[in-house]
Amino acid sequence: MSGEIDRSWRDPELLAKALPSVILQTGFFLAPLLMTMALTFQRTKNFQLTWTWSLETWTDIFTKPHYWTILGHTLFMAITCVVLCLLIAFPVAYALATRLRAYQNHVKVLITFAFLTDATLKTFGWVLFLDKNGAANYIARLTGFEGDAVNILFTDWATMLGMVYNLLSFAIFTIYLSIDAIDRSLILAAYDAGASKFRAFWEVTLPLARPGIWAASVLIFLLAVGVFLEPKVLGGGKSPMSAELIRQTFETRVNWPLGAALTLVLMVVAVFIVLLFNRIYSLKRHMGPI
Amino acid sequence: MSWYSDLPQFYQNQIREMGLDDAGMTRRRLLKSAGAAAGVAAMSGLTFGKPARAAGQMSYMCWEGYNDPRIIDPFKAANDVDIAFDLIVDSPGGFAKLQAGASREVDLVSSDMPWVTRMGPAGLAMELNPDDYADVYATFYDQFKPPFEPLISDGKTIGVATRWGWVGGCINTDITDPDTWRSYDPVFDAKNKDKICVMDWGDWPILPMALHAGIDPYQELDAAQLEEIRKVLRAMFKNTRTLVADLTQAQKGLLDGSLLGCIGAGSYLTSAVRKQGHKNIIATVPDPKNGLKQGIIWVEATAIVKETDQPELAQKLLKHVVSKDAGHVLSLLDTTCNVVTNKAVEELYSDEEKSILQTDYMWHAWDNSQMHRIAPQIDEMLAIWQEELAAAQ
Repeated sequence: MSGEIDRSWRDPELLAKALPSVILQTGFFLAPLLMTMALTFQRTKNFQLTWTWSLETWTDIFTKPHYWTILGHTLFMAITCVVLCLLIAFPVAYALATRLRAYQNHVKVLITFAFLTDATLKTFGWVLFLDKNGAANYIARLTGFEGDAVNILFTDWATMLGMVYNLLSFAIFTIYLSIDAIDRSLILAAYDAGASKFRAFWEVTLPLARPGIWAASVLIFLLAVGVFLEPKVLGGGKSPMSAELIRQTFETRVNWPLGAALTLVLMVVAVFIVLLFNRIYSLKRHMGPI
Repeated sequence: MSWYSDLPQFYQNQIREMGLDDAGMTRRRLLKSAGAAAGVAAMSGLTFGKPARAAGQMSYMCWEGYNDPRIIDPFKAANDVDIAFDLIVDSPGGFAKLQAGASREVDLVSSDMPWVTRMGPAGLAMELNPDDYADVYATFYDQFKPPFEPLISDGKTIGVATRWGWVGGCINTDITDPDTWRSYDPVFDAKNKDKICVMDWGDWPILPMALHAGIDPYQELDAAQLEEIRKVLRAMFKNTRTLVADLTQAQKGLLDGSLLGCIGAGSYLTSAVRKQGHKNIIATVPDPKNGLKQGIIWVEATAIVKETDQPELAQKLLKHVVSKDAGHVLSLLDTTCNVVTNKAVEELYSDEEKSILQTDYMWHAWDNSQMHRIAPQIDEMLAIWQEELAAAQ
């Protein structure tokens, strides 16, 4: 396999075929990224961009702790979201692939409907549900609770609820596909060899589902570091995350160099974390089951 | 040389055959034609019928409401012109867009006054001759007649004020006594913890808090004054239940009583709810504190973009926007209701409409408010806002 990849670099036909993609990537990804980087070295004066090369923006970023506080909070929320999504999505995906085969099409359609519904609509729906005068408190009062028993709106709990709810379907489908692709005869072979149900799950199903779990983790993480609707609408804007900070910097402060620099910082940190986990994942894979 | 002479011969022939060569077609006009055509297509639901074509095209960057068909359609019919709208969702964003090149396409801009003011030094606004607008100003409130200092840049008039209102406390009189809001003290009262709403609208919540701290944010500030602003924002965040950018969220909170008061907004927020019959929702302005007026008057203004290729038509549209009939529509929209600068519009208001607009309160608000203009150190204040918000987590 490795040899084939090495050969592809010397194959003029393959290189020619890849050329359009390379041009597209260069034009639409690399060039804007370089422009964004160049922008970080400019300055803003009276809300106007002035093209004077300066390290002012980067000095600002590395000397003001609040940018890192918000970034740290963003990463914490994103990683928590990944863990919660996996904990909820895996049993659902497992049940769909193994226990609810008769109903799986119906369940998949229902999840797809939720998936395709606009995130703004779903998020504002949660506001109405969690509101002091909303459905949650109405039900709580009906069941004997007094006052505002459900009082999580405009807190990080509500933000997390919205994030998990909006991103969960990505995890369910990704993990479901990997579990569904597992060869059943391998599990039956484990039973034949005397493995208990738990042992067969732990030593056969889970390791084979690992690529799906990993893919779902990366997907959820990258989407979660970029959320801005949930912290703003459900979190009440009091615990801003990086995407909102970047929006505010670009739009409200009209400080494009700073906004561009914060964007790059978020990208670099997110990619670094993905690579770090990728490394850990690779090591674990070589060491055996999870 | 023509606008298309650098194109291949085939396209030059096509352009000549289509009769586009003698219409004084420029890149600007071409872009506007494309914009107008796209707008017409979108509004007509992409029908395949051939729409009637107007003789001219204009591009108007404005807040929602200025594009109301009741305002625009009569102008379009009278001048045989199509207008493409570039709706602003925030004033800084609109200004940034103009700077980024939209000024080559846009003819007219209606935005918050400080951002229209900035168009002067940025070289984006066309100078207006106040004498040409004598008939317009004749029916204006005296406060907005020339020389109206905020819209004068380098001694030249660059815009006309259109709509205005005030920023102070937005409250529900059924759950809080308006008299307690004669200052911003309830914002900091420990018993109001988790009951205060702050509008997440850039500088709008910062400026009233600076005034409460005894600092005039419209002057140059020293480090000690900025530190005072930091302290007052920190205290404000302690009682804040939510920061909202969406009007309806704040309106709902005020109506259902989950929010005691909203800071950073005023008549712009309360009027639409009042129009729906909730006269218990009001916009107040605190009393002056140690001689410093605590309210803020916001004004929207309209300017003509310097690069417009049809200045006469743009001036006509400007005059139309501030006319009596257009002003009446503009002041009573579904999304927000606000008084306008043309006094003659008052004649058209019913008693109910006057109540919606709190016209009996507007001059009290004016007398107790600062005129909103460019705050020299707004970027420092916004940076402090971000820092304190992050620290409040």
